[in-house]
Amino acid sequence: MKVFPPDVVALDDVSVDLRSGEVHAIVGENGAGKSTLMKILYGIHQPDAGRIRHLGREVRYSGPRDAITAGIGMVHQEILLVDEFTVWENVALGNEPVNVWGRVDRERARRDVAASIEVFELGIDGDALAGDLTVARRQQVEILKLLHRRVDVLILDEPTTVLAPGEVDELFEELDILRKGGRTIVFISHHLDEVLEIADRITVMRKGRLAGEVARGEATQESLARMMVGRNVVFTTERTPVDKGEVVLSVVGVSAEGLDDASLSVSAGEVVGVAGVTGNGQGPFVECIVGLRPTTAGEIGIGGQDVAGVDILDRRRLLSYVPEDRRRAGAAVTSSIAENAIMTHHRLDPTLSTGRLLDRGRMRELTETIRSGFSVVMSSPDAEFGSMSGGNQQKVILGRELSLDTDLVLLDQPTRGMDVGSIEYVHGLVDRLRSEGRAVLMVSADLEELFRVSDRIVVFHRGGIVADLVTTETDITEVGLAMLGGASA
Amino acid sequence: MITGLLNSMLASATPILLASLGGAFTYHCDVFNIAMEGMLLAGAFGAVAVGFATGSWLAAIGGGILAAAILGFLFVVFAVWLDADEFVTGIALNLLALGTTTYLLRQWYGVKGAFDDPSLPAIPDVDLPWLEPIPVIGPVLSGRNLLVWVGLFAAVATWWVVQRSRYGLRLRAAGFNPPALEASGGSVARVRAIALVACSVTCGMGGAFLSLGYLTLFNENMSAGRGWIALAAVILVRGSAPGIVAISLLFGFADGLGLQLQTRYGLAPQFTAMAPYLATLFVLFFYARRKLGESP
Repeated sequence: MKVFPPDVVALDDVSVDLRSGEVHAIVGENGAGKSTLMKILYGIHQPDAGRIRHLGREVRYSGPRDAITAGIGMVHQEILLVDEFTVWENVALGNEPVNVWGRVDRERARRDVAASIEVFELGIDGDALAGDLTVARRQQVEILKLLHRRVDVLILDEPTTVLAPGEVDELFEELDILRKGGRTIVFISHHLDEVLEIADRITVMRKGRLAGEVARGEATQESLARMMVGRNVVFTTERTPVDKGEVVLSVVGVSAEGLDDASLSVSAGEVVGVAGVTGNGQGPFVECIVGLRPTTAGEIGIGGQDVAGVDILDRRRLLSYVPEDRRRAGAAVTSSIAENAIMTHHRLDPTLSTGRLLDRGRMRELTETIRSGFSVVMSSPDAEFGSMSGGNQQKVILGRELSLDTDLVLLDQPTRGMDVGSIEYVHGLVDRLRSEGRAVLMVSADLEELFRVSDRIVVFHRGGIVADLVTTETDITEVGLAMLGGASA
Repeated sequence: MITGLLNSMLASATPILLASLGGAFTYHCDVFNIAMEGMLLAGAFGAVAVGFATGSWLAAIGGGILAAAILGFLFVVFAVWLDADEFVTGIALNLLALGTTTYLLRQWYGVKGAFDDPSLPAIPDVDLPWLEPIPVIGPVLSGRNLLVWVGLFAAVATWWVVQRSRYGLRLRAAGFNPPALEASGGSVARVRAIALVACSVTCGMGGAFLSLGYLTLFNENMSAGRGWIALAAVILVRGSAPGIVAISLLFGFADGLGLQLQTRYGLAPQFTAMAPYLATLFVLFFYARRKLGESP
C-alpha cells in the first residue's frame, strides 16, 4: 500500500508504504500531519494530489464505511462506543445480522461476537455494558469491532494515551498476536519509548513532510526526537538541587465525592508528582484544593492559611492552577488570546481596569509579557484562542497562571497531547519554578515525565493515596504496580 | 358511567398516544422535536381539506399524514441538514402550522373558528359484535374508532422497531453517541430524517383522528396543546412505548373525567379543561420525587 498525498499545507509530498504483518509507527509533533495522513488513507479527507494503492490496486475511499469494507479500520483517539449498549451490540452496530424484516438476529450477533472474542484472545464479556468497562477494555472493544469486520489494516491513533503502564503491555501483547496473524498495524504515537518497543519500522513526520523512515534496530530515542523536532532534544532534565523550604500546601485527611481521606504536603522548592490511572481520585483531589469541589472532611492549608470556606477567587491569590482540560476549564476557546491571557488577573490586578472597564492597553501589555516570556507563537493578541496550536494554547495558560506569582502551583496534566518540543519546555519551566522556591504539585499520566521532574511521587488508587515515594528511591515498576492497586508502600 | 368514562378515555388518549409514539422515535435519536403540536394541527387540517375535496376518509387520513409530513420535511431540512437549532425550528414550525391552517380555513372555506360540513367523511368505527355480550369490556372495545386500534397497534410496532430492529439499534446509537454511529458506518442524519418522517406519519394520523375521528369538523388551533402533552409524556417515560401507552391512557382518563364532571355535576368547563394539565403536574411531581430518590 502506498500513499502519495497532496500538495497542501497540512501534508506535502508524503509517501509511506505499509507491509502486511508489520507494526508501522508514525511519529511526529502535533500538527506534523500524522492524523491528516491517516484521515486521507481512511477516506475522511480526500487528497489533492497523489495516489493510494492497496494490494496493487489504486483506490480512493469515500469514507470510513468504504475503507472498512476494503479492510482498513481506525481506532480513534477518543473511544467511540455507545456506553449504554452491550459489548456485542457495539461490535455489531453498523454491521448487524438481520432477518428479512430488519429484525436484528440477537442470538447470532451475540454468538458471532463471542466467537471473535475467543479467536482474538480478548478477555471481554460480550454481554457487559460498554460503559461499565475500563478504558483499556473499551479500547479492546474498538479493536474487536474492526477485527470482527475482517479488517486487516488497523490504524491506532495514539492508543496508549489513555492507558496505565500495565495496560500498555497488555495492548502490545495483543498487537503482537495480530502482527503474527499477518495483519498490518499503523501505530501513531508521541511516546518514542513505546514506538521503539513495538514498531518494526518507524516513519517520522515533521511539519507536513516526511522526515525519514527507519527500521527499529537503527533508531534511538535521541535520533527519532532529532528527526521530529529538527534539533537535539534533552531527555534528562537537569534537576537543580534546591533546599526544601517551609510547607506551602498541607492537606490533612481530606474526603470528598470520589476522594477518601487523602493527606499530602508540598514544601517550597519541591515538585511533587501525582500518578494514578484516570478516575482514581487525583482529579477530585486537585479540585478540592482549588475549591471546585466541596470537601466533606479534612483540612486544606495553603501558605499556613486554612482555606476552608475561602471561595475560589480568594484561593487564586494563593495558587496558580493549570487545569487538565485546557479547552474547557483552562480557556475560553472562542475568545481572543488577550482575553484569555488576562483571565483571573482581571479580578485580582487593579491596574487592569479603569473603573468598571478593562484597560485595553494594559491587556495588550500583559499579553505581550506572556508572549515574550513564554515564547508563544500567535498571529495577534486579538486572534481567537482556539486558532493557536495546542502547545501554544498551553503556554498562554501557563504564562497567565505563573504570572499570578503564587507560592503554590497546581499543574494537572500540563503536557498531555503536546509534542516533544513543548514538553521539553514545560519540564524546564517546572524546574525553574522549583529553583524559584515555589511548591509544585503536578498530575500526570506519563510516569517517565513524573520521574524526570518530581522530587516525590504520590500514587492514587480508588480515591486514596496508596504510596508516597521519593523519586530517587523508586522505579517505574513500583509506581505502576501501586497505580493498579498492588501497593507496597 | 364507567363505560362512558372508559370510552372517552380511549378517545382522548388516542391523539396523544399517536403523537407520543412518533415522538419516541425522535426522542431516541436525540432530536428535540417540539413540532408535534404543529404536526397534529396540520394533520387535522390536512385530513379535513382532503376529506372535503374527495369525500373519502381513507384519502383524508392520507391528507393528514401529508400535511404533517410537510412540516416534518421542513424540520429535516433545517434542523438535520442545515444544523439549525431544533428548538427555534420547532417553534417556527408550530407557528407556521397555526397561521397557515387558520388562514386557509378563512380563505378556502370562508369561516372563522370552526368548519363543519355534512359532506365531511368520518373515519369509521370498528364494530366487534362477538365481543359485545361481555360486560364492560365488550362495549368499551367494540365500536371504537379505527384510529384507536391503529394507535394501539402502532405502540406495539414502535416498541418492536426501537428495541428489536436494525434501524432501532442505530436510532438509539444516534441518540446516545452520534460519532460512534458514524464511526461504525451508519449515518446519523439519515437515522434522524427517518425518525422525523415516522413522527410525521403518526402525528398526521393523530391529527386526522382529532378532526374526523373524534368529531367531524375542524377548529382553529384544534390540537390545543396535545402535542405539548405528548412531548411531556415522551420525556417522562424516556421514550418507552409501554410507558407511553400508560401515560396516554392516564391523560385520557383525566380528560374523560373532566367531561363527566362537566355533564353530570355541572362543573364549569374551564375547570374540567384543566384536568389533563393538572394530571401533567401530578405525574411530574412523582417523576421528580423518583428522580430525587435515585441520586441522594
